[in-house]
Amino acid sequence: MSSSPRRLRSLVTLAVGLGVLATGCNASATKEPAADAPGRSFVLITPNPVGTNPFLKLSVQGIEAAGIEQGGSTKVLQSNDPTTITQNVTAATQQKPDVIVAVGFQFNDAFAQAAERNPRQQFVLVDSCTTKLYRNVTCAVFREHEGIFLAGAEAGLLTKSNKVGAVVALDTPQFHRFSDPFGEGAKKVNPEITFTDLFVGGQNPFADPARAKEQANALTAKGVDVVMGAAAAGNPGIFDAAKGGKFTAWGVDTNQCPSAPGVVVDNVVKRTDVVIRNTIDGVLKGKMGLTRSFGLAEDGVALTGLLGDVANSKCLIAKSPSVITKVQELRQQIVTGTLKIDDPAAK
Amino acid sequence: MPIDAELLASALRALTPILLAALGGALCQRAGVFNISLEGMMLVGCFSAVTGSWFTGSAWLGVLVAVAATTAFSLVLAVGSVSLKADAIVLGVAMNLLAVGLTAFLLRTVFGVQGAFSDPELKGLGAVGLPGLDDVPYVGDVLGGQSPLVYLSWVAVAVAAVFLSRHAWGLRLRGVGERPDAALSLGVSVTKYQYAAVLASGTLCGLAGAQLALGNVTLFSENMTSGRGWIAVVAVMLGRAAPVGVLLAALLFGIVEALGFRLQGQGLPQQAADAAPYLVTLVALFLSTARRRARRASAPADEHAAPQPASLG
Repeated sequence: MSSSPRRLRSLVTLAVGLGVLATGCNASATKEPAADAPGRSFVLITPNPVGTNPFLKLSVQGIEAAGIEQGGSTKVLQSNDPTTITQNVTAATQQKPDVIVAVGFQFNDAFAQAAERNPRQQFVLVDSCTTKLYRNVTCAVFREHEGIFLAGAEAGLLTKSNKVGAVVALDTPQFHRFSDPFGEGAKKVNPEITFTDLFVGGQNPFADPARAKEQANALTAKGVDVVMGAAAAGNPGIFDAAKGGKFTAWGVDTNQCPSAPGVVVDNVVKRTDVVIRNTIDGVLKGKMGLTRSFGLAEDGVALTGLLGDVANSKCLIAKSPSVITKVQELRQQIVTGTLKIDDPAAK
Repeated sequence: MPIDAELLASALRALTPILLAALGGALCQRAGVFNISLEGMMLVGCFSAVTGSWFTGSAWLGVLVAVAATTAFSLVLAVGSVSLKADAIVLGVAMNLLAVGLTAFLLRTVFGVQGAFSDPELKGLGAVGLPGLDDVPYVGDVLGGQSPLVYLSWVAVAVAAVFLSRHAWGLRLRGVGERPDAALSLGVSVTKYQYAAVLASGTLCGLAGAQLALGNVTLFSENMTSGRGWIAVVAVMLGRAAPVGVLLAALLFGIVEALGFRLQGQGLPQQAADAAPYLVTLVALFLSTARRRARRASAPADEHAAPQPASLG
């Protein structure tokens, strides 16, 4: 009986010893390269494994581009869940890089805590923002609604039934940015339009392709022939339904046309690479502790059809140059400020 | 709102994976094994179906691979709960968690992607035409364009119903589940029948997964079963493990889901549409237990009703 507390105590000592050793190693590992190469260092933390997630892949490209631009080293930490997110944020602050970048609302709390504890560490949060503002947290958010509006305009010009629809992951103000402006854009170019939006919901709103497909089918049953797809990993299901030939679809985040040739008209892309590069540059030049928003004017949001390489994009919009010209004009009006797009998330 | 053909077709697609898995669950229930690993088995079925179809270039070989792989996966439950007498609930929970992790891991190692795998070259089951029926208005719109596994699931319901109520093996299976000691005393091997039931549920979940990944859509995404296996578990309870009852329960879920999408289009909030299947489950459970209670209460009450006045008088 007397041996067990003693054994426990020795175990604890061992664990503490190992812990000290480990942190000691960590500290030396981060300091040494800094001593050798006095360049800058940047860390990117992702909320999910990067894998083929196109949005996160663009983020990695962004941090790498920033590393090259600023002449520094970069590191990517991938998270799986809230626990690994917190662990990664802690690990990143221990390494004391020049800027820690993270993508997604999952970091709101973790960054708020880390920013308070490490007042001299600079943080950049992309695609979201902490609820309270901190002097060392710079937020970069997208004005997706501007791009969605343009996609809606394309849909309004291309629809034959004058019925436009959207399948979106969740019925929340943030996600209405992907539905409401689509209808408004269509109505802007075609007053006859009626607009219907459906939300995937369920137990797995961001990755339920079967449900997303059924909802796209429900829209076509109403006569809708152009559909905005903003169901994250459910989008392949929407494109699958489009292969039935009853409607064409729009994708988000990156160019999704090659994944389903012949059914995707265009995409509203969020250029996380541009945003991360610009924001890091801004922070290093002293523009920190504020919220920067990236829309059409800043090239943070764009349509595949309006980018230079549309001919090789495998998007259907490449076949409608007259539509591209019209949408290009609308884009110009938004960039110059003559046309204002309502933000559903700000309502 | 009109109940059009597309709505029923959509309900059929939503119902089929649930029905196939629930039939497997019902067989296990009848044999006395509580199988809550339907969700995990179905997910293994989805992944192996896509893998099989991708590497062989044939959707049907994909279905075969799904059946083989999922039946093999169900051995975990069979060996664990029947031979080793472990708790089926604990095993089921472990299998569901294992399936999520295992398929995500294999998705990365086999296909080199994370999240979802879809490719224009991936072969799906496609629709099967029914000669003569496709031209019938309305009926053709509902039934045309369904995958062959949809029809197979109906055949499976009929076969299971006849098997459990008419065939000697089916009756023995029920005996094993209801009175294992009595079955044993008659020389019926409890182990053999329980193994058969669990492996059959693996086969059916393999078909369910194949229908979801190659019939409903043509792709695999992590955790794509999204709770359909759990709905199947509920369908087993609601249908009291009878094949036709399970069919009706699954049909209820299919219709509610398809109807939910339509009502959303009419202005019902998504959150309310999400809650609908569970709300309907609760209502159905209440109604069925209330009816059973009433029937049970009325049967002895009739016997007592006669002597009661006599004793009063």
